[in-house]
Amino acid sequence: MPSPTTPAAQADLADVAAAFGHRLHAVGVPVTPERMARFAEGVLIAHPQTVAEVYWLGRVTLLSGYAQVPIYDHIFDECFRGYVDLVEATGTPPSAPPSPLDAGERAPRDTGTQQSGASQSPITSATPGLDARGDVESEEMSLLAAASSSERLAARDFSECSAEELALLRRLVEKLPLIPPSRRGRRLRRHARGDRLDVRATLRRAYRTGGDPVHRIHRRHTERPRRVVLIADVSGSMEPYARVYLHLMRGAVRALGSEAFVFATRLTRLTRQLAAGGPDYAYAKVAETTPDWAGGTRIGTALTRFLDEHGRRGIARGAIVVIVSDGWEIGDPHEVGEAMRRLGRLAHHIIWVNPRSAAAEFQPLAGGMAAALPHVDTFLSGHSVQALEELLTAIREAGERRRG
Amino acid sequence: MTAAMESSAALAATIPDVASLAERLAETGYVADTGLATALFCAVRLPQPLLLEGEAGVGKTQAAKALAEILDTPLIRLQCFEGIDAAEALYEWNYARQLLGIRLAEARGEGLEESSLFARDYLVERPLLQAVEHPGPRPAVLLIDEVDRADEEFEAFLFELLAESAVTIPEIGTMRARHKPIVILTSNRTRDLHDALKRRCLYHWIDYPSVDQATAIVRMRVPEAGDRLISDIAAAVSRLRTLDVQKPPGIAEAIDWVHAAVLLGVQELDAEAVQRTLGSVLKYREDHDVAVEAGLAWVSGA
Repeated sequence: MPSPTTPAAQADLADVAAAFGHRLHAVGVPVTPERMARFAEGVLIAHPQTVAEVYWLGRVTLLSGYAQVPIYDHIFDECFRGYVDLVEATGTPPSAPPSPLDAGERAPRDTGTQQSGASQSPITSATPGLDARGDVESEEMSLLAAASSSERLAARDFSECSAEELALLRRLVEKLPLIPPSRRGRRLRRHARGDRLDVRATLRRAYRTGGDPVHRIHRRHTERPRRVVLIADVSGSMEPYARVYLHLMRGAVRALGSEAFVFATRLTRLTRQLAAGGPDYAYAKVAETTPDWAGGTRIGTALTRFLDEHGRRGIARGAIVVIVSDGWEIGDPHEVGEAMRRLGRLAHHIIWVNPRSAAAEFQPLAGGMAAALPHVDTFLSGHSVQALEELLTAIREAGERRRG
Repeated sequence: MTAAMESSAALAATIPDVASLAERLAETGYVADTGLATALFCAVRLPQPLLLEGEAGVGKTQAAKALAEILDTPLIRLQCFEGIDAAEALYEWNYARQLLGIRLAEARGEGLEESSLFARDYLVERPLLQAVEHPGPRPAVLLIDEVDRADEEFEAFLFELLAESAVTIPEIGTMRARHKPIVILTSNRTRDLHDALKRRCLYHWIDYPSVDQATAIVRMRVPEAGDRLISDIAAAVSRLRTLDVQKPPGIAEAIDWVHAAVLLGVQELDAEAVQRTLGSVLKYREDHDVAVEAGLAWVSGA
């Protein structure tokens, strides 16, 4: 409850809190009016004496994640360390004034810089067929017309397809059946052939038979979906395949709740972008965060970063990890081997997909590939839609198999 | 609502501002920087649930314990784990006792109302309900530890408690807290928490402590260690964090390290002492290799 203050002071405080909150919101931090009110209330209770105290009050009340801290620091410096007069600015909110009403419902963004599914990126504009969003109907028509050719397409190597065929293939990829792999859950569920006695349910059932436990009720462990982590190489040598795999990843993120990452020389987490936006948006995001898109590959560095920042925290633990890469490493192959060994200790099953391996003369000679192979449980080609189906079967079966 | 106002007035008297909260925390042996003290202050005085995130071993759980200690109020702890459900977190009916009650009534030849079977006597209180039912005079501190370990669905069980400080039991009704518990959630960020949960909480990220802070913390926690040893180890831990190690050591590891060194009678840190005690601070073989490669003398600061 706010402590008694003069109404004028409160109004000023409310203005400042709202203006500051809006400024943050404008650069992508999802500050709700509720949080702005919390900030104002906090200032009333704590009576901050220094700018540092205001900084912490705002940081604690307005933010909801660690990723927002750098943006907050920047905006705070702007507003409270003398670059912008907030009260002056109150009348004219920052560019693109956010509506406070929908602010609460808006999903948070990871950074303040990303734009809405901008389709001007070089990657998306290369596939005009997919860009035309309003044109869904005619697209469906062309899909039907091409249905007869889809069987032929299913066996084609992605790298041999034309842009139109690729666009069609991506539709096929999105239709692939995704069945989650399973693992034994910790919870117990009632089951007719369960191996454990459910004492509580048995006693409850006994009410009906005068307190004598005539019917015994059993239960057993539930099946839970096992986490799937997809890590795709989007470097130059993988270019023909990368876009198709982004579609597969999008399906997996949405249907299986998978985690998705891409890398060339750096690693980028795409789970949120794929879950929220369409594939166009994801491409734009990749192009934006991966300036080295279609450049060289640092598999070892990317995998190490995955392990340090995500894998060890729990994402890779007990998961089925699918790595899509041709294994062309410009860094030290030894690092790939080391990262794969660590990954092998965390993950339940590692599937390596190398589209280049479909070629008859293929031998795993690329330095990174040779280093990684000893730690890979399943090795697949995944170069065509048919081969993708094999991959999905492998993912499903990996869930049931014990590590051996 | 007078009880609630009384208790909030009592809280305001106990911790009038952020600085005094930090002082009181220090008295219990917990060193909090301005950021964490502000976060805890807001959690108590707004009052609003607080979500604490940070690497393992930076003292998230300890913060809640220290807060409960200075408020002289019980700490009710709910350790989350995969598969935790309402029966383990909120409440459960005591089926065995209900059955006994039925049998007893039968034996005495008395009738039995169903409502009397679902009365408070037969309720087993789990942590969340305990926190709501806490009789006062000051609110309880409810620690929901490692909420990221629980299933996503479980987060939904927390919403009513976080927003309303209430728990609803279908057979009895909604139980509202007379003294809103001070709720602290911790997460190691093994997964993203749901936005609906974050929306209801204040947020604070606990960073690794600076060398000075680490020295102060270790001095309080291991009073038998010499000053020289403590500052050596605080500096060494921050050096280790600059290496490319899998698990950068936190404050908990620093304390373990000092304990180990004291046990072995080490007065000051040198390469040989580091080698004997490194196992208490680095817990991966690869991390050992990295440290050895960087030079044990460098780690010791010699």
